[in-house]
Amino acid sequence: MGLLRADLQALANLPATAAGRRQLLGTLFGLGMLGALWWSVVATMHQDPHLVAMLHRSTHGLSLPTLLGTALLPCPIAATWLGLALAQRQLFEAPELLLWRSAPIAGWRAPLQVLLRASFLSLLWASALAAPWCMTLLAEAGAGPLAYCLLPVALVAGTVPLLAMLLAVQIVLVRFFAGRVLRLVLAATAALASVGFSTWLLLGLFGSAEQRLAAPATTGAPHLPWTIEAMATLLATAARGQLEPDALRQVLGWLGLSLALFWFAARLHPRAVERHLAAESPLRRRRRGGWPTSLAAVVRRKELAQVLQQPGALLGFVTFAVLVFALADRRVLVGPLLADRRLPAELAQVAAMATLWFLAVMLVLYAHMGRLALWDGPQWSLYQSAPALPRTILRGKLEATAVLLAWPLLLVAAGGAHWYGASPRAVLTFVGIAVGGTLTALGVLAVVGTSPRLVQPTDGAIAQGGRGFIAALVLVLGFQLALAPALFAWFELERHLRTTRLDAATVRAFAPWVVGGALLHGLVVAALGTALGARNFRRLLAPR
Amino acid sequence: MTDEPAIRTRGLGREFAGRWAVRSLDLAVARGELYGFLGQNGAGKTTTLRLLAGLLRPSAGELAILGLDHGRHGRALKQQLGFVPDTPPLHEYLTGRQYVALVASLWHVPRRDRDERCERLFALLDLADAADELCKGWSHGMRKKLHLAAVLVTAPAVLLLDEPTTGLDPVSVRRFKDLVREQCRAGTTVLLSTHVLDTAEQVCDRIGILARGVLTAEGTPAELRARHGGRSLEDVFLAATGSGDGPAAG
Repeated sequence: MGLLRADLQALANLPATAAGRRQLLGTLFGLGMLGALWWSVVATMHQDPHLVAMLHRSTHGLSLPTLLGTALLPCPIAATWLGLALAQRQLFEAPELLLWRSAPIAGWRAPLQVLLRASFLSLLWASALAAPWCMTLLAEAGAGPLAYCLLPVALVAGTVPLLAMLLAVQIVLVRFFAGRVLRLVLAATAALASVGFSTWLLLGLFGSAEQRLAAPATTGAPHLPWTIEAMATLLATAARGQLEPDALRQVLGWLGLSLALFWFAARLHPRAVERHLAAESPLRRRRRGGWPTSLAAVVRRKELAQVLQQPGALLGFVTFAVLVFALADRRVLVGPLLADRRLPAELAQVAAMATLWFLAVMLVLYAHMGRLALWDGPQWSLYQSAPALPRTILRGKLEATAVLLAWPLLLVAAGGAHWYGASPRAVLTFVGIAVGGTLTALGVLAVVGTSPRLVQPTDGAIAQGGRGFIAALVLVLGFQLALAPALFAWFELERHLRTTRLDAATVRAFAPWVVGGALLHGLVVAALGTALGARNFRRLLAPR
Repeated sequence: MTDEPAIRTRGLGREFAGRWAVRSLDLAVARGELYGFLGQNGAGKTTTLRLLAGLLRPSAGELAILGLDHGRHGRALKQQLGFVPDTPPLHEYLTGRQYVALVASLWHVPRRDRDERCERLFALLDLADAADELCKGWSHGMRKKLHLAAVLVTAPAVLLLDEPTTGLDPVSVRRFKDLVREQCRAGTTVLLSTHVLDTAEQVCDRIGILARGVLTAEGTPAELRARHGGRSLEDVFLAATGSGDGPAAG
């Protein structure tokens, strides 16, 4: 119980310090916001009587279990994400491992602690994403207290067993197959899980609300994992005031079985850690000299080297490419645009590529935010004690970020040309617009990524001030706000198209003006953002 | 060379949430001198070094290094300073040579000087074999040596070292001592904090002992011993920090 008590104590101590309070408030506020957003999407869906009636018909009256199952899907999704991306590192690279491994405690205790931590986090996410929808469904079905009491059981059973299984599999794999290849595989899986979860979240929050309810309504009951199906049945029958013993047995059986398997695997953990640490670093580049001496150039090169020489980061870029191609292939969010007959083909293709680019940039923008200051946390004292101009360091970092932000642009251009059959002219127009957009993103990033409210200097280091959610929200809102003129122009065009037909020749005639406008807008935002960012950066580097 | 001390503080103090980590510190370190800071854990050594390095702002008093202060001559002063913290601020995913290039660019060191000094220091500190490997797998001692090499590549006029020998093997400690003495002979002023009394006694021209943020004793090792009846530096330290039970038997 010592480790558990220590973790709980650490949690309880959070409000005692300013940094801890910020972290706690940020997390709670962020998850609360996410839950509220999720709930508002669901509430909008349920107010459409046509969709609800269609769903009722297509599921032969079983709409409640189907919807409850869909509502509970965030549980395994959050567990998969955290199990592969976060718990994996905790299992084999947590700083506390040294203490845990040297302490006279059972070998399985350390992985159990990792499971407890991951379960806690997964349950927080699952509660924010699944509970509001489930509660809405249960309230609409007039459920009694039994159903509400079983909801936490459903959330735990939807999250913890999968997490336990994922951790168990990783321990067993590392125990028997540790080495260069497995490290690469695990790093790739972690990157894929992180990007996949972010995409799912973005699509869930910013995708069409009707689309999500329409899916089960038009295709009948969606295919749900059997564990989720059992929990949905359990909750649906409990909503009628009955307890379904078979479903309860299934749920508890799955929970017990997964924990037992985890316990067996956890006993292999000490040896697995040993083998993991002994395994070679997956990538190593040998380079001699050749680095420039100009500060901005060195900082730019350093940032790029850290991506190219860090296997996880490099794999993240490859995984991201796969994801963008998959989004382009499946025409996610852009299907209606490409099918709109009112739009000339070239315009539809440019608009589709721009939408896809926006989605892709949203996925990576937050990651680049850390590049400006946060990821240099332990090295901050070096910048502080150096006689360098803060704005020169920032310039180097922004230049590196600009190069890295060219990745989504290139991917979307290639994907657009391949999957949407866009002509070279359409691709060029898109590239021009996206360069303007990239400059806009850089401007926003320069301000938000260096904001002393979101990034806090501590003793010789730097730490996240406002916690990830708030920073992410500010960044997303800032980016959307900066792109508002483009969105406004698009809405105006759509309004115009209701009454007037647009031909291809007009689109071609206006394309250079649109590209010019986008570039000008991007340059203005980038210049303003860089100026403000430089001021912020100077404040971050100032002695406390 | 002027008579102005390389490092001079008057009434220097730093407060953290109502607690003074350093109080009324008056210090004068001559150019080319090697000054050692001794003190228990939490005595204020690191805070003093951070104040001198310009990472912290003084809550009271003033400081001047080479006649400059951080408030008015921030960057000009930093150009002359080298700071080696206890935990080296390395980038895990850069190689040793790349890290030196980064530090050199921050201090505007020309490429030729950088490469020449880097090769010499890597050879001297036994880092040449690992120079092109990522810092990620390096031991604590190697990390400390790498950061020291990177800082020395910038040829600082004043060198601030926080616990520089912690984690170094005996050979490296010896080389470190020789290197630091060589730097002082070349005119560099060195201020180092350490817990290792032997190191302080062997290399330092003068020693200052800090206790609860206050400088309680100062002088050459010989002067300090003489003031305490010819006892060892360990006894002097225990007496000056108010934590001793008298001289050790034997």
